[in-house]
Amino acid sequence: MNHPNVTTPHTKTGSLLLDVRNLVKHYPTRTFWRDSPPVKAVDGISFSLGEGETLGLVGESGCGKSTAAKTLMRLIEPTSGEIFLAGTDIAKLSLHSFRPYRREMQIVFQDPYASLNPRMRACDIVAEPLRNFGWDSKNGSERVADLFHRVGLDPDALRKYPHEFSGGQRQRLGIARALALKPKLIVCDEPVSALDVSIQAQVINLLEDLQTDLGLSYIFVAHDLAVVRHISRRVAVMYLGRIVEIGPVEAIYTDPKHPYTRALLSAVPKIGKSQRPERILLKGDLPNPANPPSGCTFRTRCQQARSECAESSPQLTGNGDQHLVSCHFA
Amino acid sequence: MTTPYPDQSPAAPILEVEDLRIAFVSRDGIVRAVDGVSWQLQPAEMLGIVGESGCGKSVSAMSVLKLLPGPPAMYSSGSIRFRGEELLTASEVRMRQLRGNAISMIFQDPMTSLNPVLTIGEQIAEVLILHQKLSKRAAWKRAGEMLDLVGIPEPNQRLRDYPHQFSGGMRQRAMISLALACNPAVLIADEPTTALDVTIQAQIMELLARLRREMGTAIVLITHDLGVVAECCDRVVVMYAGSKVEEATVDTLFARPCHPYTRGLLAAMPGLDMAADAGHRRLAEIPGMVPSLKQAAIGCRFAPRCAAAQECCHVTIPELVVVAREAPDHLAACFRACEAFRGELA
Repeated sequence: MNHPNVTTPHTKTGSLLLDVRNLVKHYPTRTFWRDSPPVKAVDGISFSLGEGETLGLVGESGCGKSTAAKTLMRLIEPTSGEIFLAGTDIAKLSLHSFRPYRREMQIVFQDPYASLNPRMRACDIVAEPLRNFGWDSKNGSERVADLFHRVGLDPDALRKYPHEFSGGQRQRLGIARALALKPKLIVCDEPVSALDVSIQAQVINLLEDLQTDLGLSYIFVAHDLAVVRHISRRVAVMYLGRIVEIGPVEAIYTDPKHPYTRALLSAVPKIGKSQRPERILLKGDLPNPANPPSGCTFRTRCQQARSECAESSPQLTGNGDQHLVSCHFA
Repeated sequence: MTTPYPDQSPAAPILEVEDLRIAFVSRDGIVRAVDGVSWQLQPAEMLGIVGESGCGKSVSAMSVLKLLPGPPAMYSSGSIRFRGEELLTASEVRMRQLRGNAISMIFQDPMTSLNPVLTIGEQIAEVLILHQKLSKRAAWKRAGEMLDLVGIPEPNQRLRDYPHQFSGGMRQRAMISLALACNPAVLIADEPTTALDVTIQAQIMELLARLRREMGTAIVLITHDLGVVAECCDRVVVMYAGSKVEEATVDTLFARPCHPYTRGLLAAMPGLDMAADAGHRRLAEIPGMVPSLKQAAIGCRFAPRCAAAQECCHVTIPELVVVAREAPDHLAACFRACEAFRGELA
C-alpha cells in the first residue's frame, strides 16, 4: 500500500467500527429580526455499526436520514454528539486532524448524474481522491484501472466523460471513486433509487460482492423498504429526526413494534396478495420539523396515540435484546 | 347485418390504441420511441402500463392527448380512437375540447405541472369554466367540492392557497381533483406516485381506486413499479424498448409471467416478504442495458439480454401471440412464451 504521511487509525474497540452517540443537527432559522425555533433535522440519534456490517437507515423524505448520514461523515458539521470511528471521536477533531479519517469513510450519492463533475474524465474522477491523499500518478493510474475492473466498467471507458455513461454505469463510477482510498465504511445515500429495477439489481449485487471481498461496512440510506431488507443486517427506522425503531432486519420486518414501522411496511405495495397485512393508512403529512409535536413526534398520525403520548417523549428501549423501540405502548 | 357498431356496444373499449408508431427526429438519427404498440381500455377499467425508463410508456400515453410537440415527435402510423373517434387526425380545436374534459391526465411531478402563480382554486375553476361553462361562482363552489372529494381538509380555505403552500401528497391530490373536475371518461395517470413516499403513495392509490369506483372513470396507470400495478390494476401491458412485450390480466401476469423480460424484472426485485432463510438470495440481474432505439429492430429487442434467446430471436421479430389456449387474453411477444407458460423454461 502506498499512503505517504498518513497513519491508519488503529481499531481499539475490536469489531465495532462506528459508534454514534446522541448525534444532533439543528439548523437555525430566522423570521425577520427574531430567531425562530431551529429545524431539528437530526435530533439525537445513537447507533453503532460493526465491521463488515450493513445498517439500513429508512424513513420518508424529510425524516433526516440523509442529513444523519452526511453529518456522521462531517460533510455537514454536527451541532452536537459523538461519532466514534474505530475508537476515536471524530466529531471533536479539528479539520486538520480529521483529514486522515476521511480516507476511512466514503460516500456514494443518490444522483449519479449530479455527483460526477461533467467536465472531468472518468479516470480523473476516480483518481481525484488518490491525488488528494498523495498517490503518485503511476500507482494512481494502476489503482484506477484496477478499480474500473472491480466495479465492472470497461477499461475503454477510462477516458470517457460522465455523460457518455448510462445511469447504472455512472453509479458504478461513483462506487469506484468511493472505493479508491480503501475505506472501511461506505455511506450509501439512496444509491439505487434513481435506477431502473434491472440496473438496481446489478448495483446491489455489486455492493454485496464488494462487501464480501473487501470487508466493507455500509450505512445504507434508502426509502425503498424491500431494497433495505435485502441488503441490511440491521435496520434503523427514522421519523422526524429521531430513530423510532432499530434492530436486526428480520425482527424489524417480521415483528415491527413501532406503529410507524408497521404503517410504513403495510403501505408498500406487494405482488402476490396472499399474506398482506391490513393496510394502515396514515392520516396527513409529516409535521414541520421546526415545530414538532410535543411528546412523541409521531402521535399526530398515530392511531394508538393517547393522552400520555403528548406529555412525555418515549425513549428507545428494548427487552435486553438488540431490538429497540421508542413507543410508550410497544 | 344487425350487429351494432362496435363503438355502440356496451363492451366496446372506450380508448383504443392501435399499431401506434412514434418517432423523434434528432440530430443523430430517428429514435423509434414507440414501435407498433396496441392496447385497449375498457370503461371503468384500470390498465397498467409498466416498463423501465425509455421504454415508451409515457410517450404512448402523452400521444393520446397529443401533448407531444411535433417536430420533433412524428406519428408515423397507427390510430388512437376515443369512443370510436380518431384522435390522431383530430383538429387542435377538437383536442382542446377533449383535454381535461373527456380525457384528463395527471403527471408525475405535481409541482411542475401546477401553475405556481395561480391559486389551486383558480386552476380548478378554470377547467370548469372552460369546459362545463359554469359561472365563476359555481365553478369555485364545485372546486371546493372536488378538493373535499380528494380528502383535503378545510377545502374552501385551501382553494385560496398557492401550490407551494401544499405538501407533495396534497399537490398530487389537487392535481387529481383538477383532472377529475369535469368527470372525464378516461384518466391517464403518468407515474402519479413516483415522487411520493410510500405512506402517501398508499393514500393516493387508495384515492384513485375509490374515485374509479364512485365515478366509473377508466384509468391508464403508467408506472415502473410492479407492486403498484399488482395492487391496483385489472390488466397489465409490459413494454420494453418501444414495444409491447406482454399483456395479461394482473393475476395471470404475476402468477405466470411468460416473456423473459417480465420474468427478469420480477426476479430482479428484492421482496418484502421473503422467508428468513431466503433473505440472502442474490438478486437476479438482467445483464446489459436497454438497446438504442436509433436502429430499426431486426430481431427481438430483448434478445441480447435474454438467457433464453435462440438463433431465431436475433434475426426475426417475434409477434405477439396468445401463450396458451386456456389463457386467450394472455399475449407475449416471444418465441418461447408457450414454453414459459407451461413452466418448461428455466
